[in-house]
Amino acid sequence: MASVVSSVIPRGQVDLVDFVDWSGVECLNQTTSHPLANALKQGYRDDDGLRLESDADEQLLIFLPFTQVIKLHSAVITGPEEEGPKTVKLFANKEHMGFSNVNDYPPSDSLNLSPDNLKGIPVTLKYVKFQNVRSLTIFIEDNQADGDVTKVQKIALFGTTVDTTNMKDLKKIEEH
Amino acid sequence: ASKRQQKSWFSILRSSLPFSFPILIFRLALRRIAMVLEATMICIDNSEWMRNGDYSPSRYQAQADAINLICGAKTQSNPENTVGVLTMAGKGVRVLVTPTSDLGKILACMHGLEIGGEMNLTAGIQVAQLALKHRQNKKQKQRIIVFAGSPIKYDKKTLEAIGRKLKKNSVALDVVDFGESDDGKPEKLEALVAAVNNNDNSHIVHVPPGPSALSDVLISTPIFTGDGEGGSGFAAAAAAAAAGGMSGFEFGVDPNRDPELALALRISMEEERARQEAAAKKAAEEAGKQEKVGEQASSSQDAAMTEAVNSLAVVADDKKQNLTDDEAALLEQALAMSMDGAKSTSVDITDADMSDATAEDPELAYALQMSVQETVRDSSSQSEMSKVLEDQSFVSSILNSLPGVDPNDPSLKDFLASLQGQSEVCFVLKLRNL
Repeated sequence: MASVVSSVIPRGQVDLVDFVDWSGVECLNQTTSHPLANALKQGYRDDDGLRLESDADEQLLIFLPFTQVIKLHSAVITGPEEEGPKTVKLFANKEHMGFSNVNDYPPSDSLNLSPDNLKGIPVTLKYVKFQNVRSLTIFIEDNQADGDVTKVQKIALFGTTVDTTNMKDLKKIEEH
Repeated sequence: ASKRQQKSWFSILRSSLPFSFPILIFRLALRRIAMVLEATMICIDNSEWMRNGDYSPSRYQAQADAINLICGAKTQSNPENTVGVLTMAGKGVRVLVTPTSDLGKILACMHGLEIGGEMNLTAGIQVAQLALKHRQNKKQKQRIIVFAGSPIKYDKKTLEAIGRKLKKNSVALDVVDFGESDDGKPEKLEALVAAVNNNDNSHIVHVPPGPSALSDVLISTPIFTGDGEGGSGFAAAAAAAAAGGMSGFEFGVDPNRDPELALALRISMEEERARQEAAAKKAAEEAGKQEKVGEQASSSQDAAMTEAVNSLAVVADDKKQNLTDDEAALLEQALAMSMDGAKSTSVDITDADMSDATAEDPELAYALQMSVQETVRDSSSQSEMSKVLEDQSFVSSILNSLPGVDPNDPSLKDFLASLQGQSEVCFVLKLRNL
């Protein structure tokens, strides 16, 4: 699965996992044995045995602040066929949302993941909505099978930083 | 990195050792163990059911006392903690004070509350959740403490749904089940707490009516002592206060300026106390030689010595019944000395007492020497500790003098044999496996 993804990284984009501000990362409704780090952190997210799982019900609310202002281009969200996420809403620059008020705001983008996406095909986002992103809130509303537990294998975000579009970084990615 | 090591060391130490550590170490743990940063909402039951007098003086008053204690404990354990209060009965759910760290404000708002009406548990929890959601410091963990004195009119399913919603929003819940007990109330509340519980963060306590006060029963529960590690200082602080011990800093140095030194001082004092007990048993033997300890007692080490005696005194109160008359007399003397303050004369006498005890015991002298040298030198206390622990005979004699430890236990002997060259963290980890 890892080899499939790395060859599909869009040109000019960078994997934004390096710019995530880990001290402010929050995830609501995750199980303690399957936390968000399993899906986000490098190494963990490529390990098929490690997953992010929802706890009390099938929804997940993930808050990712970034260390720099970024532009978000596309995302890869993978998971098992049945329990992988289906409807995913993204909110840019909205802090500290809760499940109660997440549907009060229009999302910056709303994704409906297909089984292909769950295998690793990236989803291109509405680039214009994500030009100046300091933090990203990912709301996973339901899963493919409409079950009680949503499982996410990997969440990878691709884009560029606003301040420094480093040509050296671009070269690094294309070497894969 | 070493600070973190110390933190975990102490939590392991506290939780795994088979004997009870004296209050000294608990007080140290109070300063050391992770202070959970929390925002708490307390839900008061001020319904008509609270007029009953089966808890003295009345259910309402017992509840109020318990709440005062909890507020104090939470704000004390971490100065950034906030506590808020709301009432569930009366005319409706009313927030008396939103989460604040100002203890005076919290206690003041509890005055003049009227008793009446019916408790609305679901609304109370929902409002508490909302109040927590709007807390100022988003880094605080969210906790709700519910005092449920009235009967519960909701069914189990509703309560479980509420519990799941709390868990989803990562809110912890503590429930105090007191007052009315009927209609499967305990089971309903248990189901509620089980639905919220995530990794043991939520607790329920059932308090039947009886002679002891509600607050006293609660002090020993996880509601006060926190989730395992965090905040076991409350109980320790309460116990320490009850023991009528000292206030303020132990050694005049303490945690803020030099935590490693404070750590080392406490450990050496504790070990010295253990040695003292063992050594005092041999006090009947002739005191022969003069001691290096007496010579080394200079004015700069007065404080350490006197404080050592002070701490001995505190511990002595607890341990007195375990000691023989000789030892009791010795410790009483030490206690009297400590009450006189840090005068040089008293220190000399103290030194004399100490030296009598240490005459036959070179290891005690070594320990005293160690603790004395700590105040002078500025070196890393960790390495000192490992040196002390590596001294095989020293460690084995500590273990011998401790109650509940059989020195002939083969596993203990194996453990001692493997001690050489280990750091103190490995020492504790091994001890845990015993």
